[in-house]
Amino acid sequence: MLTIEALQAQGVNTEEGLARCLNNEGFYLNLVGKALEDDNFDQLAPAVNSGDLKKGFEIAHSLKGVLGNLALTPLYEAVAEITELLRAETQTDYAPYLEKIEQAHASFLQLRDAE
Amino acid sequence: MTQSRKVFGRRQILIVEDEMINREILGNLLAQEYETVFAADGDEAIEKMKEYRQTLSLVLLDLIMPKKNGLEVLTYVKNDPQLKQIPVIVMTSDAKSEVESLHLGAADFIPKPYPQPDVIMARVRRSIELSEDRMIINATERDPLTELYNREYFYRYAEQFDIHHPTVQTDAIVLDIYHFHTINERFGTKYGDDVLRLMARKLREFAAPSGGIVCHREADAFMVYAPHGLDYIEMLASVSNALNNYVGSHNRVRLRMGVYDTVDRELPIERRFDRASEACDTVKSGYSGNIGFFDNAMHEKELYAEQLIEDFPRAIETKQFAVYYQPKYNVQAESPALVSAEALVRWNHPTLGCVSPGEFIPLFEENGLIRKLDNYVWNEVAAQVKAWKARYGAAVPVSVNVSRADIFDPMIVDTLKTIIQKNGLSNKDLLLEITESAYTKNAEQIIKTVNALRELGFLIEMDDFGTGYSSLNMISALPIDVLKMDMVFIQQAFAKTQDTKLIEIIIDIAKYLSVPVVAEGVETREQMLALKEMGCDIIQGYYFSKPLPPGEFEALWEGTRNVDN
Repeated sequence: MLTIEALQAQGVNTEEGLARCLNNEGFYLNLVGKALEDDNFDQLAPAVNSGDLKKGFEIAHSLKGVLGNLALTPLYEAVAEITELLRAETQTDYAPYLEKIEQAHASFLQLRDAE
Repeated sequence: MTQSRKVFGRRQILIVEDEMINREILGNLLAQEYETVFAADGDEAIEKMKEYRQTLSLVLLDLIMPKKNGLEVLTYVKNDPQLKQIPVIVMTSDAKSEVESLHLGAADFIPKPYPQPDVIMARVRRSIELSEDRMIINATERDPLTELYNREYFYRYAEQFDIHHPTVQTDAIVLDIYHFHTINERFGTKYGDDVLRLMARKLREFAAPSGGIVCHREADAFMVYAPHGLDYIEMLASVSNALNNYVGSHNRVRLRMGVYDTVDRELPIERRFDRASEACDTVKSGYSGNIGFFDNAMHEKELYAEQLIEDFPRAIETKQFAVYYQPKYNVQAESPALVSAEALVRWNHPTLGCVSPGEFIPLFEENGLIRKLDNYVWNEVAAQVKAWKARYGAAVPVSVNVSRADIFDPMIVDTLKTIIQKNGLSNKDLLLEITESAYTKNAEQIIKTVNALRELGFLIEMDDFGTGYSSLNMISALPIDVLKMDMVFIQQAFAKTQDTKLIEIIIDIAKYLSVPVVAEGVETREQMLALKEMGCDIIQGYYFSKPLPPGEFEALWEGTRNVDN
């Protein structure tokens, strides 16, 4: 279950994220829940792996915006890293970066689904 | 276009953001103070801006979006005259886009991730405030018809231009349309307004690239202030072409232009445009040239006029104005008899010599000094008549000028009464000359004043009759005692044509009104005899005598008195 304390323990800057939501916890936690279900998480790896770096950038950039605003720091940092590489259309092995995002995303989903 | 966007109570903001979560965060935040509308991509953003353009106070625009991105939306908005009034704040995590956004007219930007809520609210508030102030300024600065600067702000911006470009030479230009009123009369004022708007747009298009500014001064008059080098001849041609294309081949719009080229920066801005207007006034007809330039001759004339105005108070103080007396003769008597005189003023200027009344009277009429001069003459004449009465026991009545400006002086009746009493005269000793054109311009006021004067026993002469375009209907209602025919009629009648019909008509009018008629400017015996034959009563002019200083007038009068005796 998503709680402020649990998110804090996960490294989320809840103070910042809550402030953007006018300190309305319910509203904030609801948005975090929605962000974790963002389709972009599923679309990022296929786009990058198919070599469409432009599309990959758009997806990563969108995610980054949302994660940043909710201050989901570990996820945000991972996405921000790949966003900059994709923005520059850097030719590199993206697997480790995608993996990092995948892991961070998974740990948040785990948190959500825990009792 | 300049209405305030504040709709009863809450202002409205459009949030353009493709990410639902971001829309929710912003929406939640802004809903504290504002009414919110949302769009999820660029196309929808433009659609919503159009739909809400009357009420939107602000747009918050995400830059990276599907379909049209934020920069494309900004470009579109910038080129749409109805949408470009709405301020846009750009939201981006990319510092490079900031500059581009600002270039495209963004009012401000908000970074991503979003800053603290109070920062966002403050920026939003500030942008709305600035834009509303700007709209208020626009509404006061600009002429609603043409959206050009009005006169006051035009002058202010021209001064700003000078301050920022102290070494750039500039030209002051005025333009107007010949007989613009006929366009209004023939096609209606709505059409006339369209012509003015087109003229405004063309002038601005032509002047703006060089940094020139344009003003709609009044009616059909425009002003342009531009760095020297603007091809104003081409500007006139181009505006003229555009207007003539608009009105079609069967009609013509004629423009005229006055140019004060390379202005003197020492002159106040208003004076520079006075000069351009003066130059414009020299263009008499659109059939010959239609550009007038302020030149040296006009400058000299202006300096001369300035000197006369400056020297005036001292001239009154030291009695530089001399009153001359031109005799008037009754020609219906057996032999012509000197019956009265007209007082004429001469200025014996200490350095300029004798200044002609033709030079200073119109000038003083324009700036109101004429009232002081008239007053001076009334006093001088009254004192002279008093002296003659003391010396000879009698005097002839003397006509003095009463200008238009005097009539509007509420004290005029008292002033004249006082002068008469102070000198122990009767009200019949001064004849008051008022020009016909004064009557036609503000008939009611003049008739009121003249009636008051006549009740006191003053006699009123209508001067320059025949030039004021009075209708016959009006003349019969005028309170006058003498009709004075304008010199022009005498000169024309006795020039080549020998056509005296107009004089006969005027004499008929005088008979109809049962008042004597005076002819002035009579120069020959032949003219005098012809006028006498036609029934003219009194004649003034070089045939009998030029205007004389008091001493010589006295001698002449004494001579005729002796003959009479």
